[in-house]
Amino acid sequence: MNYGAELHSSKCRGCEPQVDHVPGEPGVWVLLFGDMLIFSVFFVTYAVHRGDNVDLYRQSQSHLNQVFGILNTFLMLSSSWCVANAVEMARMERTASSARLFRLGLLCGLCFVVVKCFEYGEKVRYGITPSTNEFFMYYYLFTGIHLMHVVVGMAVVGILSSYVQKGVIDARRLRNIESGASFWHVVDLLWIVLFALFYIAV
Amino acid sequence: MDREEVNATSQIVCVWAGILCPLFLFAGLWPAMKFIPPLNPAASAAEIATIFQNNTNGIRLGSIFIMIAGALYAPFTAVIAAQMRRIERGSTPVLTYSQLAAGAASCLLFIIPGLAWTIAAFRPERPPEITQAFNDFAWIFVVMPFVLAEVQNICFGAVIISDKRTTPLFPRWLGFFNFWIALSFIPGGLTTFFKTGPFAYNGLLAFWIPAGTFGPWFIVICVYLIKAIRRQQAEGSA
Repeated sequence: MNYGAELHSSKCRGCEPQVDHVPGEPGVWVLLFGDMLIFSVFFVTYAVHRGDNVDLYRQSQSHLNQVFGILNTFLMLSSSWCVANAVEMARMERTASSARLFRLGLLCGLCFVVVKCFEYGEKVRYGITPSTNEFFMYYYLFTGIHLMHVVVGMAVVGILSSYVQKGVIDARRLRNIESGASFWHVVDLLWIVLFALFYIAV
Repeated sequence: MDREEVNATSQIVCVWAGILCPLFLFAGLWPAMKFIPPLNPAASAAEIATIFQNNTNGIRLGSIFIMIAGALYAPFTAVIAAQMRRIERGSTPVLTYSQLAAGAASCLLFIIPGLAWTIAAFRPERPPEITQAFNDFAWIFVVMPFVLAEVQNICFGAVIISDKRTTPLFPRWLGFFNFWIALSFIPGGLTTFFKTGPFAYNGLLAFWIPAGTFGPWFIVICVYLIKAIRRQQAEGSA
């Protein structure tokens, strides 16, 4: 994209290299780091139990549909890209483009949820449920809790898409936009780890 | 001016109820009942019945402590509501009311399991399956109903970050901290599907994470409640 040139124009606030710039307000990172901490406990728990029974996990992992996993990873990364650019647009006070990009990010999130529904549906049709075995318990619960984050994140991104158009974007409003966008990026980040843990069999 | 000072004292008393609440809960669960680490949901009825037969009076005593903890949760909820009301002043205080209602119901999440354990210990010689049923009832009642805490924490957090004061009554991060606590309770809600593993009612994600965040939550909230009350007092007398 040709946003690069505009990034350095005088109209763009917050685009100058800032060594100690915290995206969003510092307080929101209590939630974001806290959330990542809880998911880290999830991941470590999974890794430890996988280590105890590698064969079962490998065999179960082969039943996951890679296409859904890759598609969802693509959707998550795309939506993050949209949201990141929406924030840049907001910085440049191009609120209409910003709102459009937020809505596009929201659409990617919605597609993620739809794909996940198809994926769960396919598993259930084959008789694979959380009680099938330990691997599928983790698979359903961790991706399910993540899906809940996606839904909350979609609400946040949806709110942002109208919030950017509600008037002049001052420092406080920009900070709030960054806070919301940071939450969405954490949701994306957590999916990347989930994807690596569940779909990529080692 | 006098009225404000008297009010501050009652509020501080309520905060102290909030400090004592987890202490009574812990005293009941640990030294009295010996329920930390939690009982194993995969244990047989006979094993559970033996635990209740060997520590009958400890469990009965612990249930009294837990009941007291439940009662202490009410004034704690009330003082949170009182300070939330200061932020919601000027608008219809629906979030304050929601927090208060959810907190009032949460008192029963202490009292009912406490009583279920004491009922299990009331006739320890009865058929073990009955004791096991009451024990399951109590544990699931403790671990699973995360939803009320969600309402309390999310409402409190939302009010904190909606504060329009130049210096907010509570630091904004405390609002997000409340959201995080709400999040940490979610895995407990899934405990009904499991008897072993991290989501079982003695598991890492269903029991230990919520237990680990619940304690610090009380401490942090109490510290900032006292600051808010002191400020109210100063502003009231100024």
